[in-house]
This record gives sequence, structure tokens and C-alpha cells, in this order.
Amino acid sequence: MSHGVRRVLQNKEALEAKKLKDQSKIRDYITLTSDVLNRKKQNDWSSQAFQLTTELLQVNPEFYTIWNYRRRILLNGIIPQSTPEQIRDILAEELSMTMAALKVHPKVYWIWNHRGWCLDNVPSGPGTEQEGDPRGWEKGFWDRELFVVEKMLDADPRNFHAWSYRRIVLANMPIPKPLTAELAYTTRKIEANFSNFSAWHQRSKVLSSLWSKGELDSNKSKEEGASGILYHEYISNSSLKEFDLVHNAMYTDPYDQSVWIYHRWLIGSGDDKDILEREIEVIQSLLEEESGSKWCMESLVHYKRLLLSNHASTTDTSTLKRDCMGLLRRLLEVDPSRRARYEEIELEIARL
Amino acid sequence: MSFELNSLLVSLHVTYIQNLGKNKDDLTYHLTAHLRMNAIYWGLTALCTMNHREALDRNEMIEYVMSCWDEETGGFGAHPDHDAHILSTLSAIQILITQDAIDILDIDRVAKFILSLQQPSGVFAGDSFGEVDTRFSYIAVNALSLLGRLGDLDVEKTVAYIVQCRNFDGGFGSRIGAESHASQAFVCCAALTILDRLDEVDAPTLSWWLAERQLPNGGLNGRPEKLEDVCYSFWVLASLSMLKKVHYIDSGKLTSFILSAQDPEGGGIADRPGDMPDVFHTHFGLAGLSILGYPGLVDLDPVYCMPAALIEKMGLRKGWQALERRAS
Ligand SMILES: [Zn+2]
Repeated sequence: MSHGVRRVLQNKEALEAKKLKDQSKIRDYITLTSDVLNRKKQNDWSSQAFQLTTELLQVNPEFYTIWNYRRRILLNGIIPQSTPEQIRDILAEELSMTMAALKVHPKVYWIWNHRGWCLDNVPSGPGTEQEGDPRGWEKGFWDRELFVVEKMLDADPRNFHAWSYRRIVLANMPIPKPLTAELAYTTRKIEANFSNFSAWHQRSKVLSSLWSKGELDSNKSKEEGASGILYHEYISNSSLKEFDLVHNAMYTDPYDQSVWIYHRWLIGSGDDKDILEREIEVIQSLLEEESGSKWCMESLVHYKRLLLSNHASTTDTSTLKRDCMGLLRRLLEVDPSRRARYEEIELEIARL
Repeated sequence: MSFELNSLLVSLHVTYIQNLGKNKDDLTYHLTAHLRMNAIYWGLTALCTMNHREALDRNEMIEYVMSCWDEETGGFGAHPDHDAHILSTLSAIQILITQDAIDILDIDRVAKFILSLQQPSGVFAGDSFGEVDTRFSYIAVNALSLLGRLGDLDVEKTVAYIVQCRNFDGGFGSRIGAESHASQAFVCCAALTILDRLDEVDAPTLSWWLAERQLPNGGLNGRPEKLEDVCYSFWVLASLSMLKKVHYIDSGKLTSFILSAQDPEGGGIADRPGDMPDVFHTHFGLAGLSILGYPGLVDLDPVYCMPAALIEKMGLRKGWQALERRAS
């Protein structure tokens, strides 16, 4: 599986030279691999074997069998002979070793997995239950891990593995980070780049849990920012109201689909007729400025159909239908690749 | 390279796949041993799609597959002496079925290995170290179905986890809370299809989200505002075929995009035009073309990602719909 590797035309001599150069590398690699796999077969849990897995994984971090073997050496050979302090240091060493690997291979999930495993195995300490602070080490490790993930997301704000891992870290921290802090993190990410759908996605999850936990009132936070005990924290982290944030993004780049998908989530099934009508108006005036914006038209059709299906008795349905048909005609012109879908919607509306 | 890539270079691709096993003086060949079992499945299925199943030696292949079986766990590794993993286990099963050699397998033990990977939450892990992903749920469902052992699966629990991964955009994530991705839409739709629970999908929203994967150059991306890639052709099209909406994609433009990613010298298909080809993208590019009705190709079952005739013969065909095969 290779991604983004350009095909270069090499002449015969260059190819032969490369083959020759590869030969010794291949020999070394095969020797090292068979040595490690043999030791694995013999349940060799020695530190020498451990060292060899480091060497092999540095050449090939995707060799999952060797990550597994490495963990078995730790579990069966090294950890049983070590004090809690030593175990803590060994695991810290594992994290720096994988950090170096991640810098070169940010998308190899075996590396992310190994970090997760290390964190799960941090011993309790520095104190015992009686002495207090038995989770101090653990806390330090997880805090640092969140910092690492943030660095990775600074380098690539859409790194799928890093976001996924971030959620694992957040779920496992001994002292959970408040959801409002995570909400503020997504605000920062979104404001840095409205096109970051990963951050919009994360935001939808955080807001959903805040609402379901009753920490934020869903209607109020959509409209006013926030309410209740977390009001001040929320406001200081994000002065923007949810819809304002979205409108801001829409107006900044009406051609970017991230915000439109998120907006659809905010509207949901469209039970609130006032919000629906207000948002239709906002989009309509944006469309007047950006007459070619497919996303304005596509969203208008969607929201007008919600009015038709949820509020038919209190709206002018024939005007709505006519509007939709007109928008769909224009969509067929500006977005001909998806014409089959638009034509299907036309038929559905005609049948209403 | 000035000539236009407007047709499928079948014989070049067949040779390309045949040569893959002969690259032993190339370092990459050795560095990708952990993907060997998958690579054989990709190569074999690509050959089947081009109607050239016999291009690789059957006995040699079966022998290799069986040399990767791990007696201790009951699963298959990617290469002899590699640990058993659910990924290579599914590929091994798919290869043996495609080669009509499944009788060689200790089905009880393999099924037991797969079932042992289900977690209390209902999701499956990839191996004994426990990394979980809805991909592995699909793999388990697919493999158990091919082995005729779906009856041993806790279907409710399996479905319940997948449903919790459904997002507001209609797509699915790899775990609860994770962002939607085209490949995850595929695995979740296919698992639910095999379990006859496709009603759990928000079909209009997901079809809309999938249709929006197509970019102006015809290629498909895996999530919003990302680059196109040939492998997404299959994941998006296969999901749409289960939802019976393949026509939501501009098939002419996507066909041209896939064809333009061929390597006209050495054969094979790359992730995008001008890049190095590999067997993974060759297989998924051909699979995409097959769903689009490209002339001369063989029908592929998008749910199992195997030759359709084979799945039909096993009585496992579900109600998917590809585009009609064009005569020319
Ligand atoms: Zn790809």
C-alpha cells in the first residue's frame, strides 16, 4: 500500500545500481528478521532480544508481530524483574522510542497502539493507596500524552489516527479534562482553519455529551452560547455563539463543505420552525452574494424540504416546492456530476 | 508518457501481478511481508476481476496460505511465523474459497479464533493485544459468513456496537465517537448487510455524504476536503451499491480517473495519476471499475469483495446493485 509516492522513470544503470545497493540491506534485514523470529519461537524474553526488536522496528515499524513480541518480552521478562520506578522509566523510554518513529511514520497505527499499551501499564505510584497519590505517575503520563497528540495535530490537523488517539487519551486520563475545555480546543482548531472537518466532528460529539449531561442547555447554547454552571468558562473560551461560528465559516468560504455538513447537524430534523426559517434566510442572503455556491443551494433545498415535511400545515407549500424545483434546476447546471441525485429529489418533491 | 490512458491495460496488469512474487531482490518486497497474505488476496481477486484467475499457480498459493496458519491460536498470520491476526485470517479464508480449497481448513478452530476476538462491548479486536475497530467487526462477520458459522455469533451485540459508531453525517467511525470515513462506511454497511440489518443505516444521509466524496477531477476522497485516491473508489461505490445508489456518482469521470492512475509501462494502478502502483490500489481500482460496469470485467460482489458468481453459488448474495456491464 503506497500513497503519494511519485513514479520515476529510472534508466537501466540506475536500477542496477539500486539493486546492488539494496542487496546488502536485504541480507541484513533477512538475517535480523530470522534471528528475532527464532528467539520469539523459543520464548526468549532477554534484554538482548528486546534490543533486537528495537533495531528491527526502527527499520520496519509496521511489523506488528515484532511489536507483539516486544510487549511479551516486557511482560514476561523485563517487568517481573523490575521495581515500580524502573517499570515507569522503561515505559517512558518506550514512549520516546515510539515518538521518534511517529515523527517519520505519523500514520502507522501499530505505533499508536504500542503507546496506548504502555500507558495502560503504568504502575501505581509514587505513593501507595495509604500514602496518597497512587495515580500520580499515571496522571503525568496521560497529561504528557495529550500534549504529544496536540503536537501531532498541530503538524497535521486532519490526522485521523491522532484524532482517534486523542479521544482514547481523553477517555482514559485519571483526572478527566472538562468537556468545556475540549469544546474550547475545537473552537481554536476551527478558527485556525474552517475547513477542518475533524474538529467540527469532534465539536458535535462534545456538544452532544454536554447537552445530554445537562451541563449546557442545547437550545440556549445554540442561541446564546451557554448557560448554567459552566457559563463563564464557556464564554471565556469561546465568545462565539454556535450559529455565529457557523455563519462566520460559511461566509468565509461558502465552497468548503465542512461547515455545511456541521450546519446540517445543528439543524437536525428541523423541528424548530423559527430556527429553520431564520437559517434559510441567512443562507439565502449569502446566495445572493455568491450566486454560484452549490452548498448554499443544496442546503436551501434540504431545509426547505424539512419545512415541507415537518411544517406543511403552517407554511406556503406551493411556494416552497417551486423554490426547491428552481434551486434543483440550477444545481443540475453548477454540479452536473451529481445530477442523478438532484433529479431523484425533483421527482420526490413532485410527488408531494 | 504522452498517450492517453483511456482503456484498461489488462494484459499489463496481469503481468504486473504475476511479477509481484518475483521481486525478491527489491527491499520493499521484504519490508512488506506483514501484508503478504492480504497482498495475495488483492492480487488473486484482481486477477479474477480481469478473468485471469489461472495466472497465479493455485497449488503454490494454497501451500503458502497454509504455511501461515498458527496452530496455537487457530488464526492466520500474514507470513510464516508472523502472529495470527484477524486481517490475514480473512484474506486466507477468501483465498481458499476463491481457489475452491476451503476443505483443507480446520473450520472449527478458525471460527473459534475469530469469535474469541469479540469484546464485551460487541466490537472485535484485531488480535490478542486488543486493538478494536469496526473494520474488525466486518472482517469477523464476513469470515464467519463465508465459513457458514454466523450462527455462532452474537448478532445483537455486534450490531449494537456498529450502530453506536454511526455519525450525524450518516457515515460511520472506526470506534464510538470517531470521525466518518469512506472505508468505515463500507465496512459498517457491509457488516450490516450480511447480518440483514441495513435498516440501521440512515440511507438518504449516507448516500448524500458518499456522493459528495467525488471531486471535480472525477476521483473520490475518503472524507470532506481531503485528496482523491483510487482505493476510495471501491469503498464509496461498494457502499452505494448496497444502498442501490451507484448512479449518484459520475461514472464517466470516475472511470477516467481510475484509468489515468494506471502505470502504462510496468502495469498496475496507483493511488493517483503519476504515482507508484501497488497491488492494493490495482485491486481496488479494478473493483471500482467492475462496479461501474466497465466492459470485459467480471462481476464482483461488493459486500464480500469477491467474485460475484462464487458468492451467489454459496447462497450468500445480498440485495446490492452495481451498474450494468457495458458491452464496449
Ligand atoms: Zn489509497
